[in-house]
Amino acid sequence: MLEYGYGGRILRIDLTERTFRIEPLDSSWVKAVIGGRAANSKRLFEELDMNCDPLGPDNILIFGVGPLTGSFLTASAYYTVTAKSPLTGILGDSAAGGQFGAEMKLTGFDQIIITGKADRLLYLLVTDSGVKFVDCPEHKGKKIIETTVAIRKEQGDVAIQVAAIGSAGENCVAFAAVVSSGNRVNGRTGMGAVMGSKNLKALAVRGSKPVALADTLAFLAESRKIDQDILTHPEYKKRHNLGTTMLMKDLNSIGILPTNHFQEGVCAYVEEISGQKLASSFKVKNKSCFNCNVHCSRYYLANDQEAEGPEFETLCGFTSRIGNRSLPFALEMNAYLNQIGMDSISTSEVIGWIMECQEKGLIHPKDLDGLSISWGEEEKIRQVVDMIAFRQGIGDELAKGAKEFSGRFSDEAQKLVMHVKGLDIICGDPRGIKAYGLTYAIASRGADHLRAEPYFELTNRKEEAKKRFGTEKAADRLAEEGKAALVSYSEKIALLTDCLTMCKNIGLCMDILNLERVSSLLKAGTGLDYSPEYLSKILADAIDLDHAFNRRLGKTRKDDTLPDRFLKEPLTEGPTKGATVDIQKMVDEYYKIHLWEE
Amino acid sequence: MIQVDLHKCTGCKKCEVACVFFHTGRVSNRLARIKVLNLYESGIDGPVSCIQCEEKYCLKCPEEALSLGSMGQIIVSPTVCNLCGVCEKACPIGAIEIFENIVYVCDLCGGKPKCVEACTEGAIIFAKGEQGPSLESIRKDTNKMSPSQKRLYYLKKLGADLRDKWSRKHA
Repeated sequence: MLEYGYGGRILRIDLTERTFRIEPLDSSWVKAVIGGRAANSKRLFEELDMNCDPLGPDNILIFGVGPLTGSFLTASAYYTVTAKSPLTGILGDSAAGGQFGAEMKLTGFDQIIITGKADRLLYLLVTDSGVKFVDCPEHKGKKIIETTVAIRKEQGDVAIQVAAIGSAGENCVAFAAVVSSGNRVNGRTGMGAVMGSKNLKALAVRGSKPVALADTLAFLAESRKIDQDILTHPEYKKRHNLGTTMLMKDLNSIGILPTNHFQEGVCAYVEEISGQKLASSFKVKNKSCFNCNVHCSRYYLANDQEAEGPEFETLCGFTSRIGNRSLPFALEMNAYLNQIGMDSISTSEVIGWIMECQEKGLIHPKDLDGLSISWGEEEKIRQVVDMIAFRQGIGDELAKGAKEFSGRFSDEAQKLVMHVKGLDIICGDPRGIKAYGLTYAIASRGADHLRAEPYFELTNRKEEAKKRFGTEKAADRLAEEGKAALVSYSEKIALLTDCLTMCKNIGLCMDILNLERVSSLLKAGTGLDYSPEYLSKILADAIDLDHAFNRRLGKTRKDDTLPDRFLKEPLTEGPTKGATVDIQKMVDEYYKIHLWEE
Repeated sequence: MIQVDLHKCTGCKKCEVACVFFHTGRVSNRLARIKVLNLYESGIDGPVSCIQCEEKYCLKCPEEALSLGSMGQIIVSPTVCNLCGVCEKACPIGAIEIFENIVYVCDLCGGKPKCVEACTEGAIIFAKGEQGPSLESIRKDTNKMSPSQKRLYYLKKLGADLRDKWSRKHA
């Protein structure tokens, strides 16, 4: 019996039959995975027909929160969406902050597990007592905020939180996003397409079961320490003012800001597209996730658009990565992509890859319905985005993702797709951040930094590096040495953060969480005994499970690598000039630490 | 009175969480005496709670279960209250709400409001001893609404000025 922390129940919804079932959450089952991402992965592993079509009714779509989500703990805001990915064909998941996770927690369901396919477009309203199935053909094509406002109005309650899809999801674009809290995006691995394939326009939640703690005063004491650590952190002010957009200038200053599709790592016009410029010219106020004191998000007005964000990935993806120097245009694209529900990282990879291939003469305009597009061409970028989202002409093929689409072209063109396991690489050139390179290579959802977020290698803490990872080199961004140890540590804290569910910028980048601290938080929160050693063991088990999952779906050791460019082409300018990645060396070490076979 | 600077509000709900936590040891917006709305359609976020209004409509309780405290706060006597709902209907901004047989309204935490302490942005200010504004004009418009709808109406109205300011800045 789970009395504290956890909601203690799971909700199963069958869209085909329009039925639902409430089950107790098995306490020994969940104790071995904590909650959030690891619990979702385990559920999927246990229940998924591995051979199923990701866009078919048999795929399982899971919304999950953790034992501390929506609690007094700062930034306990996140939720994770998990399913087999239509973009990569392997484990897919994506987390988001905002307000949805905390409200979902109040329904008392730790997981909402959705199977089947509805015969008509509908949305689900989940409350403590179960599910209301609401047909909504009139919401087809509606943008995220329109849908959110409409559902709140129909149900007469402005406190309802909504996770919805836009046109991209409805049209099953392989990298469509789920979007909640208006602009909070579960962007990666195409979870929006899975929703669309099930005719599920939105999941709305409104709960009333309070989050109770086993030892309120102990939890309060630990939370207060955490708040102090956050508020006195040397990066606090910068993160408060700029959020992740601070990385534009930070990454450029070390020569790893993807420019013209990773051909360069230094962007000459970075000042014009920086987070600082955004803050001084377009931001009107700070925005925040549930119960956070960093308030790192921003609300802005630009190009007759307004939205929350953008985060660094979208900002870089729609500026330097595709050679665009207009900040207002990038802000317009952020607002637009959020509202049609399409992942900005994968979208910018499709665009950047085409631009580079056309520059090199590898793709002819006739292969793209006559389209010829070069760096920063605003009108054509708008056009490609719409072709993909609405699957017009060749956009119907582009919507399958850059890697899939590249299959029809030469080897040379295929090699220029910046992906690992079919998932497009984030904005951070691994030639100058080796631990990130390793993380992209081994991450269980494909090229991704969040699986480990080894931000430590950028902090220059040499003594701490020696103490924690046996070598000062772990804090040297250009060294491969010590990075397998660093990633093997930080992937556990990253997973732990995803399980609680907390924010990684705080938990990991600001180095706020560690096993001892989480052990006492979980004990006070749930009343269950999670010792640091036990946590370390179950996190390792969960990482092994992800690995086994993808092995079962056909991935092998040779998929744990990086695009050729990062291994063979040195960067030509700036502080990372001359660097490439010796990825095999790091992956070897990483496999040894995990005792994984080849 | 409790004053709110909407320009500084990020919608984090730290005030709401602190309010519930220090009153009940738990977290749930249903039990909060200050409720934050996130209006995604306009970028406006803000808390709504009792502002110790001039009129004090809620005090017209037929059972006289509500009284005025020394700081201007509303005190509810649970032994006298019969949950008739007159106070909930009377409040023009949805700052009193009954949930599971309990009346929730701001009690100013004995003079040190937890919501004010919790706000790291300085968006909530406790102006001790100050009389709140009149809600007469709002009352006409929200007369028949639910508490949730009243809060929405009130926050939209407060947010309109801020929206104007933003538009002028970016005109």
